[in-house]
Amino acid sequence: MEIRPIFSALLRNRAGAILVSLQIALTLAIVVNAVYVTQQRVEKIGRPSGIDDQNIFSFSATGFEKDFDFPAMVRADLDLMRKMPGVIDAAPSSHVPLSGSGSSSGFFSLPNEKGKDSPANTYWTDDHGVNALGVKLSGGTTFDPSAVKYLDQYPQFMEPDVIVSQGFAEALFPKENALGKTFYDNHSKPYKIIGVIEHMHGAWVGWDKLDRVILSSMVGPKPNTRYLVRVRPGEIDRVMAEVETALRKRDPNRVIGKLTKMSEHKKRSYSNDSFMAITLTTVTGLVVVFSALGIFGLATFNVNTRTRQIGTRRAVGARKRDIVRYFMTENWLVTTLGVVVGCCLALAAGFWLSTQYNMPRLDLYYLVGGVLGLWIVGQLAAWQPSLKAAKVSPAMATRTV
Amino acid sequence: MFAYYLRLALSSFKRNPGLTALMVFAIALGISVCMITMTSYRAAAANPAGDRSSILFSASIDSWDPEDPYDSDQKDPETGKPLAPTQLTYRDAQGLYASKIPDRKVMMYKAGGIYSRPDKAMEPEYIATRMTTADFFGMFETPFLYGGPWDAKADAGPEPVVVLSKETNQKAFGGENSVGKMVRWHDREFRVIGVLNDWEPYPKYFDVSNGSFTDMEGAYMPFAWGRVLELGSDGNTNCWKTETIDSFEAFLNSECVWFHAWFEIREPAKQREFREFLDNYVIEQKKHGRFPRPLNNYLYDVSGWLKRNKVVEDDNKAMLVLAFAFLAVCLVNTVGLLLAKFLNAAPVAGVRRALGASRRDIFWQHLTESGVVALAGGMMGGLLGYGGVWALRTWYAQFEDDVGRSLPFDSMNFLLVIGIAVLAGVVAGLYPAWRIGRAAPASYLKAQ
Repeated sequence: MEIRPIFSALLRNRAGAILVSLQIALTLAIVVNAVYVTQQRVEKIGRPSGIDDQNIFSFSATGFEKDFDFPAMVRADLDLMRKMPGVIDAAPSSHVPLSGSGSSSGFFSLPNEKGKDSPANTYWTDDHGVNALGVKLSGGTTFDPSAVKYLDQYPQFMEPDVIVSQGFAEALFPKENALGKTFYDNHSKPYKIIGVIEHMHGAWVGWDKLDRVILSSMVGPKPNTRYLVRVRPGEIDRVMAEVETALRKRDPNRVIGKLTKMSEHKKRSYSNDSFMAITLTTVTGLVVVFSALGIFGLATFNVNTRTRQIGTRRAVGARKRDIVRYFMTENWLVTTLGVVVGCCLALAAGFWLSTQYNMPRLDLYYLVGGVLGLWIVGQLAAWQPSLKAAKVSPAMATRTV
Repeated sequence: MFAYYLRLALSSFKRNPGLTALMVFAIALGISVCMITMTSYRAAAANPAGDRSSILFSASIDSWDPEDPYDSDQKDPETGKPLAPTQLTYRDAQGLYASKIPDRKVMMYKAGGIYSRPDKAMEPEYIATRMTTADFFGMFETPFLYGGPWDAKADAGPEPVVVLSKETNQKAFGGENSVGKMVRWHDREFRVIGVLNDWEPYPKYFDVSNGSFTDMEGAYMPFAWGRVLELGSDGNTNCWKTETIDSFEAFLNSECVWFHAWFEIREPAKQREFREFLDNYVIEQKKHGRFPRPLNNYLYDVSGWLKRNKVVEDDNKAMLVLAFAFLAVCLVNTVGLLLAKFLNAAPVAGVRRALGASRRDIFWQHLTESGVVALAGGMMGGLLGYGGVWALRTWYAQFEDDVGRSLPFDSMNFLLVIGIAVLAGVVAGLYPAWRIGRAAPASYLKAQ
């Protein structure tokens, strides 16, 4: 098959071909970058938190009477909840993981702010904390019940025995078994690692050190704590209603905050990412459809305006197959022009996004995928008009000349 | 003539209804995506301070760690230096508040506690409370439903007074005029001095440290109660220094930042004077061994402050760019379709030319046609856009601190996108209309 005659035919109707090429170029630039960004957001949303986040709910409890007994309130609340049907475990917690509200501090592998250093989300809980979060210990044990301290005021230090996430352990003690090791805060106060959690997310989903977490055996400070309640799958709605009623009945003289599923916190924390992913996916789909329609329109137009030319070619011996191939090749040329320009546009757009908006640089595999995809879409869109062209009868050549 | 072109356009639409619908739909989709992202962008980019934006100032002074800047990601565009903390220490909030230069001033932070009524007529509830000074209400123009703000004397006392939001007043007093009545805060009693009307200035510009669209506080109390009641921040607290904090007093005297201060300064000369005051304040403090970093102070007006805090997120901007790129694809598509449609109907144009229509007539006739397509696409896109905004609001409404409530069904946006659509449609029609106007009539007549 000769490309030259196709090329010169294209040049005769430059405007249409250029428009479709331009459309394909823009499409490639948009689609490749949009899919890339979407992919990253989807991965971010879908990564495991290490926590049994679909089966946990949380709420706060605050006493407000002058001389109320804070430890007694917490113990009685927890005893009550742990015995309720459907509850796997319940524990106090200073903050709710994945909620966007939390606390973090910096720590060091050696005293006097020396050695490796890393920040970590800190959570205060009791000996049931690990089970109530549904996180897995890869080594060590949870807290001893006697180590749990009920606080009267905000403490200057954490309790000396802590449980840390693997992410934090690796940051301070890379390639070592961190269990039993000691690390330090900025006052050189030592903390001993008595347990290591395989994987756990902290407070802020946009933070790159989200998986660095420390649990400490403290509750409070008075008069406030939060509770985490982990339930058996599928029972969360029933248990939430029952817990609320039971706790209010047990002691009306304190305030029970709104009960919220951890899955709600999680969804909200990722809501901007979800919005971005949904918008980008929609736009990507629409852009591809429009491009296909554009290609289809141009091909149809070309076939309609060239019936005489096709008829003549058929009359002088071209087979149907040759006509189909002619139009498919023509379309391929237009698509390829668009794709070449589109690659430059896509790279430029990707570079611009990464410098301007702090997004990671475009991965070239996506570009390759985009090019292949558009070639296929282009050929599919041109298929029907090409078949239509092949049906033009050789008699057309004589009819209107 | 225009009416005649319109009639011709309509009959042309009837000739190819499918193609016409496709063009209208293409523009409509492009426009609707633009409208949704524009609404979201404009909501984040709004400046609720209005014309007071240029006389309200927030101070930012660099009290941070000499080893490690507060914000290494964000640099001052002019000097290239890392920016200073967006909150103040207690000592500096007091120090700046003491200045006599501003016309009005406020220092504040977010706290919270359990409210109830002495007669037990209110279900006790945690209510977020802004600890602030008397000028807050005037400076940020809070609307009062009942009563009014407290005065400087109440700040100094501090007197046990409280201003409630409309929502809190509803919970505590069923919405009636509660001025003069008592509420309980834990085990103390406070007198209601004022009740605010609905007030939702989004973004929440006077304090964006917990997000730009978070709920307004349910109550307001004189700042000095924070120290008396030993109330830490329920907002955001950042510390850098290794120092012993074993009491609330020690916490207040630490280098931890958790306070905001705003200053209303109307005259430019006074604004300059206040900037000098900031520098002198820091230089003076350096003599006492504080402020180890180089002099790095900022006085932001409201729009500068919103920019400093990146209230318009990168995602907002990236999506706006993407939306317009998508509109561009839709338009290129439309140009192609218009061209095909016009050329298909070229014999008709040929006949009109042969009967005496000038090239210019043909050009205007076809441009009118594409304008009508664009107008239809724009209106449909605007309506689709409203639908999209509604869907977005519904989707955001499931979350606490509903961002969606700040998204307006803005008729301004609607008119704007229709304007964009018509403009874009006419631009898209230029080439096809010119092309068809240039065609020689004879060639088409011959073929008939």
